[in-house]
Amino acid sequence: MTAVMTAPRPGFWIRLRTTILRHKIASLGAALVALVALAAMLAPWLSPHDPLEQNVVLRLMGPSADNPLGTDSFGRDILSRILWGGRVSLLVSTSAVGLAIVIGGALGLLAGYIGGAFDRVTMAAMDVLLSFPTLVMGLLVVAMLGPTVANLILAITLTAIAPFARIARAPTLAVKERDFVEAGRALGFSNLRIMGIHILPNIVDEILVMASLWLATAIRTEASLSFIGLGVRPPTATWGGMIREGFENILDSPWLAIFPSLAILVIMLGLNMLGDGLRDATDPRLRHE
Amino acid sequence: MSKAPALVVEGLTTEFRIGGAWYPAVRNVSFSLARNETLALVGESGCGKSITALSIIGLVPKANGRVTSGRVLLDGRDLLRLDEAAMEKIRGNRIAMIFQEPMTSLNPVLPVGFQVAEALRYHTDLSPKAARERALQLLQHVKIPSAARRFDDFPHQFSGGMRQRVMIAMALACGPAVMLADEPTTALDVTIQAQVLALLAELKSETGMAMIFITHNLGVVASIADRVAVMYAGDIVELATVEELFAAPLHPYTEALLYSIPRVDRDAVDLKPIPGQVPPITAMPAGCRYAARCPYKMARCEREVPPLVAPAGAGGHLGRCWVRAGDGAGGHA
Repeated sequence: MTAVMTAPRPGFWIRLRTTILRHKIASLGAALVALVALAAMLAPWLSPHDPLEQNVVLRLMGPSADNPLGTDSFGRDILSRILWGGRVSLLVSTSAVGLAIVIGGALGLLAGYIGGAFDRVTMAAMDVLLSFPTLVMGLLVVAMLGPTVANLILAITLTAIAPFARIARAPTLAVKERDFVEAGRALGFSNLRIMGIHILPNIVDEILVMASLWLATAIRTEASLSFIGLGVRPPTATWGGMIREGFENILDSPWLAIFPSLAILVIMLGLNMLGDGLRDATDPRLRHE
Repeated sequence: MSKAPALVVEGLTTEFRIGGAWYPAVRNVSFSLARNETLALVGESGCGKSITALSIIGLVPKANGRVTSGRVLLDGRDLLRLDEAAMEKIRGNRIAMIFQEPMTSLNPVLPVGFQVAEALRYHTDLSPKAARERALQLLQHVKIPSAARRFDDFPHQFSGGMRQRVMIAMALACGPAVMLADEPTTALDVTIQAQVLALLAELKSETGMAMIFITHNLGVVASIADRVAVMYAGDIVELATVEELFAAPLHPYTEALLYSIPRVDRDAVDLKPIPGQVPPITAMPAGCRYAARCPYKMARCEREVPPLVAPAGAGGHLGRCWVRAGDGAGGHA
């Protein structure tokens, strides 16, 4: 996300903050996202135990003072594993979406601005990428290249490039026809400058909305891949992996699967609420109420 | 004109592609412009005024337009022979353009001061701070009230007239030798229009730049121009000083334009609209392009294109009319 946000747009952060604060659902969503992100970032300090520390005596324990969310079949502390698992989820999803914004956004901006054959070829390539369901693409890449964090990021990036290319291209087509672009040309600005300084800030709203919704998708994809055993290898804690482990003991120790599922639920809900709020705020029909 | 002219346009022809064939939208247009001189390009919509300006600054849309012949001389160089990179150094620097729509010609998401400073930073070596200071001076120069306070305001916080002043400040930023003004006051209220015209005239005499002022409003022409080129269907049909043109219009089209201006000292019933329409670019008549609408037309008018010549005793007053200017030898019917 950083690439888009560093676009020179004075007052952008202030505008974004006001937009979110003014929208109740968006602010609630932002709070949920911030909560999860903070918890994951502060995992080394918040965790009561080492997430990999096994204790066979204390296996499959229910919630207690020492293990607030209980323990798994190796006696590892669930709360600690959820906090550390959040780091993997957020690292993979933000990296993948960030890369997809940079690559897809640049392709869409170029395709929309240049037009003609370049536009047709680029967008046809994007349609090919779009035809792979997210999970199938993930399976393909991870099965071929191996289950590492880098490959997970690559797999999710590949599926997210096309939507970002499309979301960047559509408003570029409209913005490039506007008078201030022609005026910029009359001032001698190069195409690169017109795209970067004059068109990009005008399309960043749409990209931002898309980014918050795609972060949720990326987290879900990472969890799905981990669930079917194609995510980061155990014993590293991941939410998807924990649900899978909990699934084996779902009848006698349901909390094993429930707590990581709740973590996913909270972050997905937060991101979707934030995304919907941003979309409402940037919708031109609602902008000047 | 004792000194070298600021801008010379010779035989400029620009064509557009319509349904696979190329048709000229501007045909063999020639004029020169002295320093500190304003030439008005006048004519109704679609007569080639704006295309002439876009050809000079090299912004004819490449997808379906091309400049096929002619020369545009500025600082001893032919702009039509320059590549895109060289043209980018000239646009906004030696030759600048202001547009008709101030409401949409500024980027809505960037502060106005930033946009003025941007042109400076792009064409000069000024530091960001120096460019900002210079931009503020420019905004004060175009008489934006409390410019320092409004420097970081966004375009939507400015009125139309104020935005056009910002556009003028951007165009002036690098001290251009030639300013192209494409109907810069058409979208403004009459009182604001007068203020902007006065500002342009003032800036022009201060900096000594030459200005091409495109308009369809002859009232504006009278107040700002030194010379006038009347265009019709892609041709210059009359070229004269503003005094000569208003006192003794040579071409029947100019005459008709003058009769179609509403005036407070005359009855509205005296207004004479010009019958008919400009011929479409794809079906130009063989002879004089205006013949079909002309009350004085002769047989020759429909056969041969009249040359742009000065009738005997008319000084430098050029007209393109068999009836009024003839072959340039005094005219014979």
